Amino acid sequence: MEIRLTDLGLNGKIIRLGGIKNIRGTIQNEIKLGAKTIIAVGNNQTINKIIGAIIDTDIYGDFQKKTLLGIIPIGSDNSIAASFGIKNEEEACNILLARRIEKLDLGLVGSHYFLNQASIQSLGTTLEINDYTLEVSEKGEVKIINLLSDPKEKIKSNPHDGLLDILIRTRKKDQTFLTVKKIKISNPGNKLIVDGVVEINPPVEISIMKDKVNVIVGRDRLFE
Amino acid sequence: MFSKEVRLEKFKDAETVIGGSVKMKGNFQGQGSIIIEGILEGSLKTEANLFVGDKAKVVANIEAKDAIINGEVRGNVKARNYLAIGGTAKIFGDVQYSEISIERGASINGQVLMLAEEHRRHEKKIEEKEIEIEK
Repeated sequence: MEIRLTDLGLNGKIIRLGGIKNIRGTIQNEIKLGAKTIIAVGNNQTINKIIGAIIDTDIYGDFQKKTLLGIIPIGSDNSIAASFGIKNEEEACNILLARRIEKLDLGLVGSHYFLNQASIQSLGTTLEINDYTLEVSEKGEVKIINLLSDPKEKIKSNPHDGLLDILIRTRKKDQTFLTVKKIKISNPGNKLIVDGVVEINPPVEISIMKDKVNVIVGRDRLFE
Repeated sequence: MFSKEVRLEKFKDAETVIGGSVKMKGNFQGQGSIIIEGILEGSLKTEANLFVGDKAKVVANIEAKDAIINGEVRGNVKARNYLAIGGTAKIFGDVQYSEISIERGASINGQVLMLAEEHRRHEKKIEEKEIEIEK
């Protein structure tokens, strides 16, 4: 892949996060040194690590103004790349070259940021929103979506609107849908899964931050 | 009159859908159209339209622009524009409307008041109070 990137004129410094203890420091240092684009080569976990290293730090102002985030998906758990319309490594290289840029919202759950969604088993889950609560009485899944990752989902989700979309599907095949700015999730027996990779014990508050990250996306992205 | 097709056409862009496995408790205020198929306890007000499904159970005062009621409602129903009460609806409370249609089989245990008439009564009450004060 390095050869392909060089062929396309996308050569730059390569840092292997696997061998680094201070990931935050390393990424922040590269931004300080003037990196214009950071390419996450990996899966959702890689992207979350990079975003987590930058947001809410001293370097974030520089990152938001000057730095783009790109993705080259490798392996499994690549729902974020799918949302961006990036199907494989080869396509990712062409998309990076085209530099189609979108400013996206970020979800925040506890101290973890997410681009796609957080999900939890629906049975026993209580959702607190403004002046009301929702209680789910059937098995299924609760999804808190910023950026849609499944093209089969027939819901309108917009990662620019400063809102989280709540989608509850149960085995009774009924569907609940609403949009919120902030939500508190409780479920004593289950964990919340963030972007398919991070597990968090409820109760936990989830919110959205508007226009937090500039990303390079494909023409076939799953949002407008 | 209250077919699923009609419902889907009117509510295809519903902003909020509460499914059959979900209980909503508290006070909900919205701008967009709402579909309730599950349980609602508290109060609900929207600037747009409201659909209450035939399996839904609502224990709340509800207010919307247009409202289609097919389920059970224990509370007052106010439709600022059009109120359609389906044959499976059971309402235990007062209903207020500007226009209304009621399907055979529906039951309403409460007052049925046209909103304009309600406003007239309200104004008359104010007039009567003013006359009493002048006396």
